[in-house]
Amino acid sequence: MAASNFKCTQLSGALTRQLLESVDSVLFDCDGVIWRGDQAIPGAPEVINTLKKRGKRVFFVTNNSTKTRKMYADKLGKLGFNATEEEVFGTAYCSAIYLKNVCKVEGKVYLIGSNAMRQELEKMGIQPLGVGPDPISGVPIDWANVPLDHEVQAVLVGFDEHFSYMKLNRALQYLCNPDCQFVGTNTDTRLPLEGGKSVPGTGCLLRAVETAAQRQAQVVGKPSNFMFDCVASQFGLNPERCLMIGDRLDTDIMLGSNCGLKTLLTLTGVSTVADAEANRKSDCPHRQRMVPDYYIDSIADILPALEA
Amino acid sequence: MAGAAGGGGGGCVTLRGSQFQDLLDAKHNVLFDCDGVIWNGETAVTGAPEVVSLLKQRGKRVFFVTNNCTRPRESYVQKFSRLGFTDVAEEEIFSSAYCSAAYLRDVARVQGKVYVIGCSGVVRELQDAGVHVVEDVGGDEPGTNISNCPLDPDVKAVLVGYDENFTFMKLAKACCYLRNSECLFLATDPDPWHPLRGGRITPGSGSLTAALETASSRKATVIGKPGRFMFECIASQFDLDPARSLMVGDRLETDILFGSNCGLSTMLTLTGVSTMEEAQKYKDSESPEHKGCVPDYVVESIADFLEALEE
Repeated sequence: MAASNFKCTQLSGALTRQLLESVDSVLFDCDGVIWRGDQAIPGAPEVINTLKKRGKRVFFVTNNSTKTRKMYADKLGKLGFNATEEEVFGTAYCSAIYLKNVCKVEGKVYLIGSNAMRQELEKMGIQPLGVGPDPISGVPIDWANVPLDHEVQAVLVGFDEHFSYMKLNRALQYLCNPDCQFVGTNTDTRLPLEGGKSVPGTGCLLRAVETAAQRQAQVVGKPSNFMFDCVASQFGLNPERCLMIGDRLDTDIMLGSNCGLKTLLTLTGVSTVADAEANRKSDCPHRQRMVPDYYIDSIADILPALEA
Repeated sequence: MAGAAGGGGGGCVTLRGSQFQDLLDAKHNVLFDCDGVIWNGETAVTGAPEVVSLLKQRGKRVFFVTNNCTRPRESYVQKFSRLGFTDVAEEEIFSSAYCSAAYLRDVARVQGKVYVIGCSGVVRELQDAGVHVVEDVGGDEPGTNISNCPLDPDVKAVLVGYDENFTFMKLAKACCYLRNSECLFLATDPDPWHPLRGGRITPGSGSLTAALETASSRKATVIGKPGRFMFECIASQFDLDPARSLMVGDRLETDILFGSNCGLSTMLTLTGVSTMEEAQKYKDSESPEHKGCVPDYVVESIADFLEALEE
């Protein structure tokens, strides 16, 4: 249905119905797709709720590591979306799964991240160290010799408003041991806030740690396949019958392309049609993976096709 | 071999006997890195004070070129004295902090203020150069967040360097200033980590710069080695001929590459970070960008010069 030889088509009318009939599951990014900060995109709750009424499965896949699945479910509920915890896949939750199942961490992790990340790790039986403010004192030789917990098997970096030189230092000291694993939640350079503004994102903090340690982190979040694999393995998804809807070509659409999903770019967030077109015209295979099958002004525009 | 002009792609030659003398005859200026070359922490490398002293007695000009921005020059003078180096003058010391200040004042000619993420050593050099600093003292006041943090409209440049008080808030503020494409973006040095005694390391300016570059989607102009500016800074004050100058350092990617970039002869000393094996690896590498990291000469320690100097 979504022929690979024509891409970046505007979605409307009959095409919308055909697309929806060709998929069983719809995966939504959150920021810039279903909400902006603490405001739902107008019409978004109706779209999600109607998709479910029509028998589609709906999932939420977000790189934002600042909330647990429960916190996301609460936010979704507050904004009028019918959604359950099980349908939410944020990087706080997925990083915990990654550390447990892929990194095989048993024991402790040095965490640069939020309380939400701490909670998800604890639920997975992993003990995180380091959350919260970490003020500096003493002189450089003290910092180089900070006491290290020998049970720490990995360093995990997510969004942390308390990020500081001292935390960077501790992460570096752990990562000097090549057996200590190194994982990052995502590489997004900006983090959208409630209220509409944005601040430097996890990608910046991760780059600081990678540079100091001269090591590359394993990254859990989009566009890495792992986020889709998490959903697929829990719910038995067939990629060909899945639609990924997102606002970012370099994370959401790339993930969709890499996993063989159909992809829809919504224009209520970061990327533009011009960006998509530029990728489509480029010779670079990497950029070709950042071209959506379809685009739409807002997911609210799907509603007429659903209600027909 | 000895006496050859520098410029990269060196031979990694271990000097012996009279070769030291030949090299000294050919070079009028010797530039030393500090950490790992003339001292390690608070301990002078054995023989280093004598080498510096004897070079000067022989009429050579000696300069100290360091990426370490944690002290103002005045404090370096005191350290030299404390560690037994006599007659090292402030004018001979070029730190990345001093050179960043010189760049802002003389090259960029900044009118207005500079937002600094940096330690007191950096701030002090800027103030000494008459550059107007907006210093972020840090400390998260309750209720302050990036949405209500006031920005100073006079800020014309952002300088990032080593800062043990680095916070997320500083990163966010600097990023806001850098949204204006007219605002300059400078970094003191690119070092990802700093070596301390006992093989330990701590995060360097380079790691903080990486965070800010990622946040702002902009590349910083980096003042320190291996960039050329620090040499240009010295040359503008002292009229150096690169062909008659020798750079002595312990970090291949910083000191040796710096020397290569500036057309100096280069010498690796093994009292610091880089090893002979690493130098050999760069030498054997096919990549053109590795050529500049290969030193012309290698010594165990700069004390190896003593025999030639004492004759």
